[in-house]
Amino acid sequence: MTASKFKWVRLVLVLLIGLLAFSPVARIQPAQAQNPVATTGVVCTTGNSPNPSFSLTAQSGYIQMPDMNTMYMWSYGLTDGSFQHPGPTLCVNEGDTVTVVLQNNMDYSLPTSLIFPGQENVLVNGVLSQPEFDGSGNLTSLANSAAFGGSVTYSFVATRPGTFIYESGTDTKTQVPMGLFGALIVRPGLGADHVFDRPDSQFTPTEEFMALLSEIDPYQHAAWAIGLTQGSNYNLNNYRARYWLINGRGFPDSIADNNAPWLPSQPYGALARIYPYDAAIHPLPAVERFINVGSEEYPFHPHGQNGLVIGRDGYPLEGPGSEDLSFEKFAVNIGPGQTWDVLFKWHDAEGYDPVTNPVSVTVPDLANVAIGMFYSGSPYLGHQETMPPGISTLNQCGEYYIISHNHALFQLDAFGQVMSGPITYLRIDPPQPNTCP
Amino acid sequence: MKKQFSRRDFLKVAGGAVFIVAGASVMPQFLRRTLLPEQVVGATDNFDLFFGGTDGWFYMPPEPAIPPWFPDSYAPEPFNTYIFGFRNVTGMTDAQRENQRNKAQHNAPFFWVDQEQELKVQLTNLGLAQRPDLTDAHTLHWHGFRNVIPFFDGEPTGSIAVPVGQLFTYVFRPHDPGTYMYHCHVEDVEHVTMGMTSLVFVRSLQNSLADGTLLGTWTHHTGDRYAYNDGDGSTYYDRENALFLSEIWAKGHWGDAHIQESDWSEFKADFSMLNGRVHPDTLLPNSPINLGASTHALTIQTDGNGDLLWPIEDPNGLHIEHQELQYNPHSSLITCNAGEKVLLRFANLGFREEAMTLAGIKMKVVGRDATLMKGRDGTDTSYMTDTILIGAGESYDVIFEAPAYQGPGLYDTYVLYNRRYTQDSNLSTGGAGGQRTEVRVYPGTLGPQQYLNQHPDDSAS
Repeated sequence: MTASKFKWVRLVLVLLIGLLAFSPVARIQPAQAQNPVATTGVVCTTGNSPNPSFSLTAQSGYIQMPDMNTMYMWSYGLTDGSFQHPGPTLCVNEGDTVTVVLQNNMDYSLPTSLIFPGQENVLVNGVLSQPEFDGSGNLTSLANSAAFGGSVTYSFVATRPGTFIYESGTDTKTQVPMGLFGALIVRPGLGADHVFDRPDSQFTPTEEFMALLSEIDPYQHAAWAIGLTQGSNYNLNNYRARYWLINGRGFPDSIADNNAPWLPSQPYGALARIYPYDAAIHPLPAVERFINVGSEEYPFHPHGQNGLVIGRDGYPLEGPGSEDLSFEKFAVNIGPGQTWDVLFKWHDAEGYDPVTNPVSVTVPDLANVAIGMFYSGSPYLGHQETMPPGISTLNQCGEYYIISHNHALFQLDAFGQVMSGPITYLRIDPPQPNTCP
Repeated sequence: MKKQFSRRDFLKVAGGAVFIVAGASVMPQFLRRTLLPEQVVGATDNFDLFFGGTDGWFYMPPEPAIPPWFPDSYAPEPFNTYIFGFRNVTGMTDAQRENQRNKAQHNAPFFWVDQEQELKVQLTNLGLAQRPDLTDAHTLHWHGFRNVIPFFDGEPTGSIAVPVGQLFTYVFRPHDPGTYMYHCHVEDVEHVTMGMTSLVFVRSLQNSLADGTLLGTWTHHTGDRYAYNDGDGSTYYDRENALFLSEIWAKGHWGDAHIQESDWSEFKADFSMLNGRVHPDTLLPNSPINLGASTHALTIQTDGNGDLLWPIEDPNGLHIEHQELQYNPHSSLITCNAGEKVLLRFANLGFREEAMTLAGIKMKVVGRDATLMKGRDGTDTSYMTDTILIGAGESYDVIFEAPAYQGPGLYDTYVLYNRRYTQDSNLSTGGAGGQRTEVRVYPGTLGPQQYLNQHPDDSAS
């Protein structure tokens, strides 16, 4: 049915500002973050290997929803930075002794903690992190917590490469849906351009992407925004997600650059920008690190390529003799708390060319079709056609846009707003040299 | 920045169209473009299949009702649910094709192609008779097609869509055998759940090997068929069935008929279907099959106006005409002889994960998402199971070997059902109303399978 007008106006804003202000350094990052930050791809916050140390502050803030709603959130900020959602993506090396200091600046003076699923022997102030119980023996926290205004120091040895989650371990049914989570990437000894310590997990370093998938019930967030009593009385039996996000953003914000200035608390974009496979000049695949921090499975569907699933939950898919147990998928069905590591590429299989190898059907006049906002006007990679009068495109240089989205399709329509959920694109630039900005 | 609102945009909005193109002020990239002569629609393009997208009405068991959404008070007898869908209009006259407006079927036709063969599917948009205010474009998106170019992907933001009355031809050159699905990608949550969905598969190149070719210890004979290019005969099958999973949210369907906006984030599967029907209708025959026209798609026989014929139960005995199933043409009954290998091609375009269980017969998963179960180094990753856990947008290729016939009836019955019992029935009497069908094992009395999903009581010619 009819798409609401203002959303498209906003989309134009999002993209045009992105195009015009293509400068990658839009936001000052703390010293240990990568600088300059690329417009697409994983944004790593790093420390000094082999003893990286991070300081995260649990706090409240606001993020923007795809329908222009504003959402009260709890999330993490680097202690010398500001609130962001999701929490900073921490990148460390295999074998590092990782220290994370959690500062508690939670609203309503709530206690909070961190858990690191997949990490073994997590220590708190030097002793094994343990669950906490109240005086009646009820479990209150999966890990030692910090009181309001205080801090707690976690440390562990990152023994296995892969993609992991960190999240709150305290009152998890509340604190995790409210936004207290982030990604942890452990790079293998084989090198930062590998996912695992397997040669067949190598990828193109400039084509490393993250799809952290989450959901929001706005009534839960609204209750906590009003007050401690209202929040505490929110009945989880009424839980119903209405927004589904990718890297903390809905579409079209999801395809805006990393650190887009109009999304000050949502620094991570999800556009996957790659070049076509070429045996000589671009032989290695891209990697997408899928992470589900929600409460149900998210069947993510990238068009136009089968992702090769090479790992789950930080384990390479291999047999006891290192046999390759990887498998291809066109729907990557990620369960709650899971991470999936997926290699992918796009191959110009037919090599269509307007002169030497045209498509085997007549190309209809553009006046006789409905034209998509990313369409170049031409079937051919690297080519553009002039649009009919009154129609313009966001296509820059004849690049291809191939969509990726969650295939539980109702999740794409936040509160009934069409095309607003976990949607992003695979942007395929023509081989270089090209005219792409 | 303000959207430049052109006259053309205005006309589209005035017409209720959805393909509002994001306007942009002058961008420097435009200056670099090469002006090429515009090409026009050619009526001479050849095609293998011709589909039309439209709306229509179909049937779900009316009890228990879901008031006020279902049965839909607007529905013409004997139907009760408003749908969108595709029809196969290949070979029809212009007048017959136009007649199919408001005669959509659910699910859409199954179609297939041999690996490395080019398939051209022409699509037209017949419009929506029940919703003249709604002039949605349509597309055909082949879900899972590798290395697609946007032009043939049917995803409307990255390329183009087909407005009412227009034509577009999709070209597919499949290089990867297996089971896929297709759907309209315009307003996809709506058009998919409204029924513009079905299953498509690619037959393996290995089927065409010379007689006597050795595949390891396996000898290929002309006519042998395989799900994949397995190199060892491990995906050989005698019969094949397509099992397509989809859902109905009664309120959403009612809303589209009654010009009411739906908040699709409230989606709920009121009916979970196999091949567009729920149990026990799943066991009934297909609508009469047009064998001669079924080279690339399972084609239903039509009357002089091009409308679908309906299925007839027990044609030689009771002869019950199932007029209500005119637009649910596909059976999902599985029949085989003892000892035969049966390929089940599952695809799920519902929005929920389903748990399809075959009680009493082991299933071997030989492929997922159109990929043979093998690692990059050739390690066999196939596995045995009783239950296929199949998520939204996933496909599974499963082969079972029919057990020995035990009798004493005409056949032994094994039930194939959704172990998510909430989707196995709609609370109607006898547990009917959901994703459930049967595997019937005959003692060798069934003739060879002539076409996909053949039902013993079908009429086919």
